[in-house]
Amino acid sequence: MSTRTVALLGAALLLTACGGGGQIGDTGGTGDNKKMVLIPGVAAEPFYISMECGFREAAKAKGYEVDVQAPAKFDSTLQTPIVTGVLANKPGAVLIAPTDDKAMAGPMKQLKDAGIKVVEVDTKLEDTSIAVSTVSSNNEQGGQLAARTLAKLVGEKPGSVLVLNTKAGTSTTDARAKGFEDEIKKFPNLKYVGQQYTDNEPDQAASKLTATLAANPDLIGVFATNLNTGEGAATGLRNAGRTGAVNLVGFDASPKQVQDLRAGAVQALIAQDPATIGRTGVEQAVAALEGGTAERDIETDLVALTKDDMDANEKYFYKQQC
Amino acid sequence: MTSDVRERTLAKRLFSANTLWIALVLLVLIAVFGAIRPDAVLTTFTLQTTLVETSVLLVLSVGMTYVIITSGIDLSVGSVLVFSGVTSAMTMNAMNDGNATDAGWGTVLVGLVVALVSGAAWGLLNGLLVAKTGIPPLIVTLGSFGAALGAGQLISNGSNVSGVPDVLSDNLGTGTWFGIPNLVLLAAVVTGIGALVLATTRFGRYTYAIGSNEEAARRVGIAVTGHLVKVYLLAGTLAGLAGFMALAYFRVASITGHDTDNLNAIAGVVLGGTSLFGGAGSIVGTVLGVFIPAVLRKGFVIVGVNVYWQPIAVAIVLVAAVWFDQSRRRARNQR
Repeated sequence: MSTRTVALLGAALLLTACGGGGQIGDTGGTGDNKKMVLIPGVAAEPFYISMECGFREAAKAKGYEVDVQAPAKFDSTLQTPIVTGVLANKPGAVLIAPTDDKAMAGPMKQLKDAGIKVVEVDTKLEDTSIAVSTVSSNNEQGGQLAARTLAKLVGEKPGSVLVLNTKAGTSTTDARAKGFEDEIKKFPNLKYVGQQYTDNEPDQAASKLTATLAANPDLIGVFATNLNTGEGAATGLRNAGRTGAVNLVGFDASPKQVQDLRAGAVQALIAQDPATIGRTGVEQAVAALEGGTAERDIETDLVALTKDDMDANEKYFYKQQC
Repeated sequence: MTSDVRERTLAKRLFSANTLWIALVLLVLIAVFGAIRPDAVLTTFTLQTTLVETSVLLVLSVGMTYVIITSGIDLSVGSVLVFSGVTSAMTMNAMNDGNATDAGWGTVLVGLVVALVSGAAWGLLNGLLVAKTGIPPLIVTLGSFGAALGAGQLISNGSNVSGVPDVLSDNLGTGTWFGIPNLVLLAAVVTGIGALVLATTRFGRYTYAIGSNEEAARRVGIAVTGHLVKVYLLAGTLAGLAGFMALAYFRVASITGHDTDNLNAIAGVVLGGTSLFGGAGSIVGTVLGVFIPAVLRKGFVIVGVNVYWQPIAVAIVLVAAVWFDQSRRRARNQR
């Protein structure tokens, strides 16, 4: 690489770092109160697609025009320009899954200041004064449910259990891990060996799982806090020849995960209810727009799926498309 | 490339070899972890899993080594891997009514070809843009980094693609041959060929020559433009192969799980002593460079290093190893 290239790289990095600043406020356009926009955390994830399905269905039923704008990655630097772009169109309400609990506060406040009703879906900001309502899964409860499900699968057998987490500081997955950690202590036969972060990369999840297996041959259960860690964990177990012998509890129920559950690569899934989150988000936005009062915090239920009862709970499977 | 005509002893040559020191770093790491937890580190199981888990990255890094030796860079390899995995998986599914899980070897072969061609297409595009337009490789491949991922998401409608044939995942993904995982064998063959071509053929020499001084290479009659296209084509094709390997290994074409593959490959290559300014480097070095972070990550989990310390410790070792290597080379060059 020439020095010029290195300089360019520096400049490019600097630009990325500075992006999203500025104080461009009111765009002056007139709003369209009959329009609602959903900004998911990331494009094309079955979880958010299912949420989008619930959102579209409910918003259309209430006579609203809908739009969905998703960032390519779960990243606040990519979500911020979408928020400011949506701001320019002045919809009546925006449903958003903030990708960072602090960094998204600025852009979302601009929405609020422009008179747009903001409803948080799935994730939320630290600053609770911006949104009129927050609809999310109780992730901590999901973690507890995972611990109880794992304990049930294991039965009386003693052994070590591991948590494979995504990135440190992700509020949802950290809450899942915390719930799991608190609950698993109630089962004296299970020894909690702690959590490992995987940067949300399946290959790191696989590698950290096999490393833990090497260090703790009595490993009997793994809780993977999201899709990528679950896929990596299943791969690691397969390579170690321990599929089924080590109980794997995954989070979320995307089509591939459901398939893995049926095939026995995963022993249980903790499913959220994204369609209901989307629907409830619309209801709260409508309430705020049409003079009702929005409920500030709503938590939706989670459900544990195992191979035995999965067919009865088909409505909890996530969708690839509406 | 030294022009030293005197016969040097084997010991001297070994001592001055760039890769020896980085190999020592790797051995020391293994020794340290092995001393702390011999029962968990020095086992066939840990060896096997570490090798398998590094195979995909190794194939990416072989292509990256060529590119970096020409003083270029390829940021797109991770995205091309995703794109190739997606096109390959979707083609295999399409050939079998939407689910290729029970498909035979014919399907797998088509899938392999599709993956290689997909990777090669992006490599060709990168190469043509870099060699013919004079746009810096960093910008060209930053563009294809985004475009290939976007194209993959577009084709797959943004979700992971499953339905990988069992014969593929059972044989290439988790199968072994006399205890050696097949995935590792494939990566070893690719690496071996890559090393031989770079070290012993005209293609390899031209690669070094262009990286040392592009203008000089042009003036002595090397077809620089054509050669650069070939190098990026190679990197793209290997990324396509890596995509196919990842498909066999994970049994799914993952969209979001390869964001940092490009940086991991670059880190491995540079750690292995290949100069970011081009003209110097080796595949053997890259192999060692790729394994150092892998061994570190694995070792830290096994010996129970605090999770928040792990990335810091990996970073410190990476920077220290390169610094050590550089200062040693500087000292040698001043003699």
